[in-house]
Amino acid sequence: MTVTVPAKGAAATPSARPAPRGTRRGRGRLLLVFALLAGAIAYLLAEGLGSSLDYFDTVAQAIAHKQRIGTEVIRLEGLVVPGSIHRSARGADFEVSGGGYRVIVHNTGSPPQLFQPDIPVVVVGHFTSAASTLFVSNQIMVKHSATYIAAHPTRVRGPNGTSH
Amino acid sequence: MTAGAVQRTKAVTRWVGLAALVTTGLTVWLGLWVTPPAKVQGTLARLLYIHPPIAWVALYCAFGVAALSSLLYLWRRTRSLFWDRLGASAVEVGVIFTALTLVTGSLWGRPTWGVWWTWTARLTSTALLLVLFLGYLALRRVPAAPEVRARRSAVAALVAFVDVPIVSFSVDWWQTLHQRGTVLNPGLTLKVHGSMAWTMGLGFLAMTLVFVWMVMVRYRIEALADQVGDEELEISLSERWAEGDGPAPAPPRVPEPAGGGR
Repeated sequence: MTVTVPAKGAAATPSARPAPRGTRRGRGRLLLVFALLAGAIAYLLAEGLGSSLDYFDTVAQAIAHKQRIGTEVIRLEGLVVPGSIHRSARGADFEVSGGGYRVIVHNTGSPPQLFQPDIPVVVVGHFTSAASTLFVSNQIMVKHSATYIAAHPTRVRGPNGTSH
Repeated sequence: MTAGAVQRTKAVTRWVGLAALVTTGLTVWLGLWVTPPAKVQGTLARLLYIHPPIAWVALYCAFGVAALSSLLYLWRRTRSLFWDRLGASAVEVGVIFTALTLVTGSLWGRPTWGVWWTWTARLTSTALLLVLFLGYLALRRVPAAPEVRARRSAVAALVAFVDVPIVSFSVDWWQTLHQRGTVLNPGLTLKVHGSMAWTMGLGFLAMTLVFVWMVMVRYRIEALADQVGDEELEISLSERWAEGDGPAPAPPRVPEPAGGGR
């Protein structure tokens, strides 16, 4: 883009355009915005990277490091063992498995909508002792898969042409 | 850009907008009324037709275009304010789509995972991406000559883009609550059934068209703003010269019409 400047022979192009001067108020506002953004980045990094990048310990990992973990609060991931769920007014008791190990979970609070047998879950809580396989939890998160299959598989055909 | 080219660009923008509207409407219709509920998730799976396509636009289309434009601006042989404007337009749209990714993800997470938000690697790195590109937009507001602003912005976009592969691969690199990619997974295996698959595909097309339309409109606004800036500069210079030398010079002439590229 070329801009013609009348007279004086000084061609003003966008590249020759001087930097606009910000008002003191405008500069102050920008500094505030940058400070807020820097604070947000610091907060996100502290929260996100403060703990391990791995969000949970699998049942096998937790059992392997049980002495070190002790009664520390952790996130434990495992598959809900079919037939092990006992719902009560205060929550649900069930077992989670993984890597050939099982852990009994006593959970207080209502489980999420998708909580069911044979689904991976992440439970937040702690073992009752370093020697125990009883895990006391106050939160269940369902870790569903990335596979989406129709609820009525016999009515539709699969991607490879077969009925599921 | 000639008047004819401007008209052609406007016409293309209108057609892209119309295509975006039609494909979005079709996706909504198929997603809400035609596709079956999914096993395990039931009707909650319908967010599949909107959340991954929005994330696709934010991560790969918007910030991909921004990174590529920035590289092309920084490379001396292709340096042009066209790339700066394109990059800025893509980032602006990308920020909206990233915010929508977080919102739709949160709406999906509450009934499925059981939480609105949690500090898992995928979510944290996406939130960080939003803040980084908000920083890019703030940086563009710092008063500077166009070339200085373009250079700063290009470097900032490339720095912020480093977070994109982290977001993308976070579910493969670490143990996270977020499921692995439904499409962009290590085996590139589509894990969606029948009509649900091609409805999701249509969703990807619809959101990509919405992105293209928004960038075209935003680019034009950016180009017009630059033109207005040039005209204001001309008028200011004329006034200053008039103050010093007596009679004011002829009114300024800006040869290029709206939407001038380079």
